[in-house]
Amino acid sequence: MNPGEEPPILELRGFRYTYLEGTPKANEALRDVSFSIRRGERVAIVGPTRSGKSTVVDSFAHLLRLKRGQVFYEGEDVAAPGYDRAALRRRVGIVFQRPDSQLIEDVVGADVAFGPTAAGISAEDTRRRVEESLDALGLPYPDFRLRYVHALSGGQRRRVAIAGVIAMRTPVLVLDEPMAGLDPRGRRELLGLLRRLADDRHLTLVVCSASLNDASLLCDRVVVLSEGRVEMDEPLREVLREADKLAALDVTLPEPVEGARELRKLFPDLPADLLTEEELESELMKRLGVA
Amino acid sequence: MLELQRNVVFGQFVDTESAIHRMDPRIKLAATFVMLVASFVIDDFLGFAVALALLAAIQVVSRIPLGYFLRGSGFFLGFLVFVLAFQVLFYPGEVSDSGYLWRWGVLSVSTEGLRAAGILGLRVIFLYYVTTMLMLTTSLVDLTNGLELIFGPLQRLKIPINELVLVFVIAIKFVPIFIEEVERLARAQTARGVPFDEGGAIKRARRLGRLLVPIFIGGFARADVLTTAMNTRCYRGGRHRTKFRQLSTRLSDWLILALVVGWMVAARLV
Repeated sequence: MNPGEEPPILELRGFRYTYLEGTPKANEALRDVSFSIRRGERVAIVGPTRSGKSTVVDSFAHLLRLKRGQVFYEGEDVAAPGYDRAALRRRVGIVFQRPDSQLIEDVVGADVAFGPTAAGISAEDTRRRVEESLDALGLPYPDFRLRYVHALSGGQRRRVAIAGVIAMRTPVLVLDEPMAGLDPRGRRELLGLLRRLADDRHLTLVVCSASLNDASLLCDRVVVLSEGRVEMDEPLREVLREADKLAALDVTLPEPVEGARELRKLFPDLPADLLTEEELESELMKRLGVA
Repeated sequence: MLELQRNVVFGQFVDTESAIHRMDPRIKLAATFVMLVASFVIDDFLGFAVALALLAAIQVVSRIPLGYFLRGSGFFLGFLVFVLAFQVLFYPGEVSDSGYLWRWGVLSVSTEGLRAAGILGLRVIFLYYVTTMLMLTTSLVDLTNGLELIFGPLQRLKIPINELVLVFVIAIKFVPIFIEEVERLARAQTARGVPFDEGGAIKRARRLGRLLVPIFIGGFARADVLTTAMNTRCYRGGRHRTKFRQLSTRLSDWLILALVVGWMVAARLV
């Protein structure tokens, strides 16, 4: 790294991780993973189940037994002795796959306030943050403040979980399978909300998914993991150009890309790096000779 | 970080394909029962020394790494030492005047008290070891089949053995699921600012309380789904079910059982 250059906000260097290491149940999750994320980047971490995505997510907030020299936040080794883990967790916000696991309080308002309160933020400021966060996620504060978490729908619970993380104003937001289990409408709405959040707050966004369908609409760089290794690490369009390789790795492709792969039987020169249906449509129109 | 799977060996199953894993589960259960009874009737240190020699042999044959077993027993042993300390300090039995090593009000340390606590400790360790080893070396399927076949005859007395075994097995099966759930919840809550990996023992214990409500809610939800799944698949007791895999007892199984019985009798008599 050149002097004066800002270190990447998150970095993994030759990261390997084995669950239950040293026991008969040891299970190697990551074999050698290196990549870095710069401030403000939006990165998708994609791969089939058991490729190691969730392990990477957990490592970012030091939620695993880490060895030194593998995981860095702003150039600092998070596993170094004396490193302030609590401070790290106030900077890297994680929304887990199942929102229920991270909802702590029974009432929506109290749950969103949990993080800021634990971080010692004043009651007044906390209240403002709760209101702002719930509103930003399309859960109007006056209506939802006193609702019971367990009485909400799955999609609403996920939004409360995200609001709880947003209220911490973390510079990094990590989402593990944010769209799992949502209906098409809930998905569309959440995508819009997340995009707006990332824009407004200049977040560094990390989205983990087995599907590029959603991640492609939020991120512009893709790290593909397979069996605990980095298989590809390129800008979104470049990765999509290798659609066949992705399909072989069992990564779900965005619908336009999937459509283009099918249509290649008719138009062998159809590109694969299409992000939206409109792009697919215009490519098809070109080939059909319609202006 | 809260790592229960790393630190609790009780209830785990580790397949090393050893001779003990391959034994007929009925014989294994019978041998376990014999050893459990023996642990109550053996009452001197020499007897336990003989009995523990058999445990050492089992440990070697099972190919379960000793280090894994010991690390996974830390919680249990710590608790045992804590309880035994009380047993020594408040020893209620008769103590001869020369037996006291230290005395302060109602508290005392006497040779009789130490001996009683030692025997009790050995007994509990023996019980713990035998049951843990049974679970480490017997898959759940084997355990169910073995229990159903052993207690099957009681079915004629209208005792619902299949149902009881099923309940027992479901309870055991839920343990690792719960453990995983607790770890997942602890990680998620740590990420939100509940530091599960910091603070003293009491602080840590109080934080565990926070996990109980979601764990119970999850447990009930899971039980509900399981009941529905069993109903929709027309589950009705094991009596009418046939088994795909029939258990067979070999001569070597009987020899091992005879060896265990003989060894335990010897331990009682020495």
